[in-house]
Amino acid sequence: MNPRVVGANLFVKLMSVYREKTAMFFTLAFPIILILVFGTIFMSQDNVAFHLCVQDLDRTDSSTQSIKTLESSGKFKITRVDPAINAIQYVRDNKVNLVLVIPKGFERALLQRIVLGDADASVTITYIYDPSSSSVSTKMQILDAVFAGINQQMSGKPPVIRSVEKSILTKKYRFIEYFIPGIIAMAVMTLSLFGTVNLNTELRQKGIIRKLSTTPITRTEWILSDILYQFILAVISTIAMLLVSYAVFNVKLHLDAWLPAFILLDVFAFVGIGMILTRFVKEAQSAAAAANAISFPIMFLSGSFFPIELMPGFLQKFAKTLPLFYVNEGLRASMIFEDNMAALRYSSVIGVFAAVVFVLGIMATKWEEG
Amino acid sequence: MTKETTYAIVVEKLTKRYGELLAVNDISFTVGKGEVFALLGPNGAGKTTSVEIIDTIRAPTSGKVTLLGMDVTKRKYDIVRRIGVLPQGFSSFDRITVRETLQFYLRLFCCMNTDIDALIELVNLKDKTKEQYKNLSGGLRQRLGIAIALVNDPEVVFLDEPTTGLDPRARREVWEVLLGLKEKGKTVFLTTHYMEEAELLADTVAIISKGEIIAMGSPGELIENNTKYLDLTLQSVDEKAFEVVRKMGFDPLLDNHRDIKVRVEHTDDVQKILSAIKDAGALYLGLDVRKPNLEEVFLKLTGEALHDGYVEEKGAE
Ligand SMILES: Nc1ncnc2c1ncn2[C@@H]1O[C@H](COP(=O)(O)OP(=O)(O)OP(=O)(O)O)[C@@H](O)[C@H]1O
Ligand SMILES: [Mg+2]
Repeated sequence: MNPRVVGANLFVKLMSVYREKTAMFFTLAFPIILILVFGTIFMSQDNVAFHLCVQDLDRTDSSTQSIKTLESSGKFKITRVDPAINAIQYVRDNKVNLVLVIPKGFERALLQRIVLGDADASVTITYIYDPSSSSVSTKMQILDAVFAGINQQMSGKPPVIRSVEKSILTKKYRFIEYFIPGIIAMAVMTLSLFGTVNLNTELRQKGIIRKLSTTPITRTEWILSDILYQFILAVISTIAMLLVSYAVFNVKLHLDAWLPAFILLDVFAFVGIGMILTRFVKEAQSAAAAANAISFPIMFLSGSFFPIELMPGFLQKFAKTLPLFYVNEGLRASMIFEDNMAALRYSSVIGVFAAVVFVLGIMATKWEEG
Repeated sequence: MTKETTYAIVVEKLTKRYGELLAVNDISFTVGKGEVFALLGPNGAGKTTSVEIIDTIRAPTSGKVTLLGMDVTKRKYDIVRRIGVLPQGFSSFDRITVRETLQFYLRLFCCMNTDIDALIELVNLKDKTKEQYKNLSGGLRQRLGIAIALVNDPEVVFLDEPTTGLDPRARREVWEVLLGLKEKGKTVFLTTHYMEEAELLADTVAIISKGEIIAMGSPGELIENNTKYLDLTLQSVDEKAFEVVRKMGFDPLLDNHRDIKVRVEHTDDVQKILSAIKDAGALYLGLDVRKPNLEEVFLKLTGEALHDGYVEEKGAE
């Protein structure tokens, strides 16, 4: 292995991409766009405050007090609907998905029950809702829970079963913070895989590979220079993603040596896979198609975008056979949970995988023509 | 002297099969040190296959190739340091400049201190050193390719169709570079389907057709041994002249209703025809006597034209 040879290769590759600025821009922009889009969606989920319309037909102190209680729970932003309006019509006209109607006689029923002890006295609150809206059932469940709590309190008996929330984390993390390590892992994978496949098929078609076979460069030098090159691109891309995440979403992530370590393992694994692919798929177009066929399922099934716990059991088992799963989980272990032992566990799995694939990649690389 | 010191290349019973296809069929030849050797043949004859086996890009099916005294299948790593190769249809990194490209290839041959500027001068690319590869014309690209093949100061240079696809002027510029190599005493192995190229540059020409070498020798020898005739053309003749030539026992062809083409065995025959026409009082305005070239040698040996574009391209030049 000669560092000068690796350096010469690296220089040519970096110069080529540096001078092709539009291609470089779009390569870097893709994961950033994902972060911006998904980040915006998740942001509204992080501080959920449902919009709720309430029509108070009773207009008494009790009904006003009840609405205030709902509001102060922090879960709802309340809009009052004029009692003179037909609530069903209101739902249709204003494209809201739920109006809560407090009936006339609300206060009276409460007084009968609490003060006079009339066990039969009760009051019915009506949900007027649009079933075609996807979030409305969540809203109604939350309302049910709130009313169940009120009922239980009014009955004056202490609850038999209580629940207490205890997070396994010392601090609470947001969805966007969960999402970013996955996007980094995924972006590095696509960069390395497509970069390797595209570069190698292009060089083969240009006859450069044949030319290189008549120079003293070795396969190890060739692959190492590719890995170094992809690693540099991956680091640039990761820095760009992190800058955007910090600036736009004010994320709080723990950054330490695990981050470059996992990026490097990610690069090794997928440059190796790319080398193996280019050996067997000679045409540039079919090579890109093969890279797509491999990367898409990996991207979606290894938990880059959402936790694999959301998938059916057999897919969860399958996810654990995918190399990217270990990069995702490893990055989360270090960046969110700050769990070095877990990061070490995940890194050893992906490390063994990367080493095997790297050796296979060297063996699969062939200068000579048949 | 031993074989190794006399010959740069020794090819013995070389055969290459691609599945069913027999691309190179049992060829043998030698190339001396300092010799310019041309493999001349039409498309698909097996030129690239042969040259790529010799310069270690491909593996042979059977046979033995010794390059600079080393078996090409066993000592590739030692061989590549001492040869320079321009593969067929070679191109380079689009966004890398001429100078950077040469520096890149030079670094692959560690610890060589080739003078890049002298090399650039040799292939006449002095005012293009900062130009990126994608902006170079075909002729400039081939000249850069030749310069790349020379970065390690090789003892043997392999050039696979260095002028195919170039216009006549660019081709001549490449020829000039190659003549310079010849002058420097480099061993050059060239493939081509242009007979002028082989005739101009090569000390030895091997004609290859359908994977077999069907004739070999210096261009002069090949023409001498295979064609014993001259082509006489009489321009703007009248009808009487045609009759005169026919009656002398020759087989004249009337071209364009104005020119007579006739193939004769000896220079004497030319003399006889001209005086007979004169005696008959017939007229001609011009006259051309041409010795056959390698194209005709090839035609005679194989019954095929060397390449389709031959007639048109000659006309274009
Ligand atoms: N890799 C390959 N696999 C299968 N057949 C091949 C391969 N390379 C060449 N051939 C076939 O072998 C024969 C000789 O090809 P070769 O490239 O050696 O010819 P050539 O003389 O260099 O032709 P050209 O002037 O077109 O470059 C052709 O019929 C070609 O189709
Ligand atoms: Mg060829």
